[in-house]
Amino acid sequence: MRFVLALLYRNLVVGRASAQLTLIRVVFQPATYLFVFGHVVGRVIPLAGQNGYGAVIAPGIIAMATVGAPFVSIGGQVLSGYFFRTLEEWLLAPVSLRTLLVAMLLGGVCSGVINSLVVVILAWLILDLTPSDPAFLLLAVVAGAFLFSLVSLVVLLLPQRPDRGREVFSFLMMLMTFFGCTFYSYAMLEPPFSYFALLLPTTYISEGLRAAYAPGQPHLNADAALAGLILIAIVLLPYADWVFRRRLGNFSW
Amino acid sequence: MLAAVRIENLTLRYPSGTVAVAGLSLDVRPGEIFGLLGLNGAGKSSLIKAIASLLRPSTGQVRIFGLDTRTDAAAVKQRIGVVSQENNLDAALNVRHNLLFRCRYAGIPGHVASQRVKRWLSLLGLEDKAEESVLHLSGGCKRKVMLAKAFVTEPEILVLDEPSAGLDPGARELLWEQVRIFRAAGNTVFLSTHYLEEAEALCDRIGILHHGRLVSMLAGDQGCSFAPGMAAATFRAVTGQADTDEAS
Repeated sequence: MRFVLALLYRNLVVGRASAQLTLIRVVFQPATYLFVFGHVVGRVIPLAGQNGYGAVIAPGIIAMATVGAPFVSIGGQVLSGYFFRTLEEWLLAPVSLRTLLVAMLLGGVCSGVINSLVVVILAWLILDLTPSDPAFLLLAVVAGAFLFSLVSLVVLLLPQRPDRGREVFSFLMMLMTFFGCTFYSYAMLEPPFSYFALLLPTTYISEGLRAAYAPGQPHLNADAALAGLILIAIVLLPYADWVFRRRLGNFSW
Repeated sequence: MLAAVRIENLTLRYPSGTVAVAGLSLDVRPGEIFGLLGLNGAGKSSLIKAIASLLRPSTGQVRIFGLDTRTDAAAVKQRIGVVSQENNLDAALNVRHNLLFRCRYAGIPGHVASQRVKRWLSLLGLEDKAEESVLHLSGGCKRKVMLAKAFVTEPEILVLDEPSAGLDPGARELLWEQVRIFRAAGNTVFLSTHYLEEAEALCDRIGILHHGRLVSMLAGDQGCSFAPGMAAATFRAVTGQADTDEAS
């Protein structure tokens, strides 16, 4: 437990040391998205409802923070671990590989949750949007951040070099952002895209968040969205554990 | 007596098929300074990594005070301090935080860690660099920080992979002094080095590793000192090379 807390604290120290970059990534970037899509693009996309397109896009932008932040946290650790050999430093700590895995996953989850909650506050300030079901929102964010912490680990540690994994993640993110219901709700999709969207985890996060914001608006069933996230995470967890052990149990980087 | 390091029939084979260490067996006694000499690519660093639990034995086993590096890795790492051949400092942190977090990862309470860090920064002349990012340090300073990291958790065994590489003569002398103080407290040192004079000056026994095999074992007079040039002569005889850098 001490190691887990120490690694979380280390992430905090690193984030504080690059406060300006952190601020840009965590605050200014999503604020710009919310403003442009909520107030500028939103005006040219006529949608029913009090907040129009803003109510559709805000959960999608929160979802982007939920999936992106774990990758920044875990990706930073793995990439710096590869290029600067910092991973060796953590592997030499007197803890099991599983403890290191838990610490990295928890770092990813914390990062995802904090970043997402910042966007929730921004959505309130910029678009005057507040979630109807904050508890469900938190649940969806935690489940989404956990899932994408696992995805980040798998994508970065599966290839021989993690920089190749970074390229793969960028591609996956593009695919999942554009086809995974971040810019539109599932209800707006027609086959075959609606079927394809169901294969993408971002769909479940975005739709779960839409359910938390506006239960009355059309969206994927909230329970189904949460169940989808948890199911994918359960399937992925043992695989991420295997990939982690395979790459770091015999550390030849 | 329980060996500090016991290596039994160890083979290390990389996924590429390269055999770094082949059927090596070796015991290091508690309180001993054991030196490993070898040409580049002889398998020294791979062996060090296996002792540090970073590499799993393909066959055989490594035990630290009876603990298996494969099954008791966390307990093993609690008892060893490691200086790797390559810089593995946390590039996102400054010098002080590198040392502090090393202590935190080992579960050392904050106030104890702060005192130890202060002491080692002072001992290695790094006080004025404490708040500098490790990225901005010279090679020698980075090496000093790595050495401090190995000592700061107060392990029972130091595992040093070419610890004096990149150090100036003064810093090297300081390192030797600290290694001797460490041993005088009853602790054990396992070091690999390129420097024959370093091995002769520090070690109680010297093993020569060639193509992954332990081809010679030298013991000093009464287990404590070597006649000057003894290790060099043996090294030449068993490897056919004049010194450890020749094959690089």
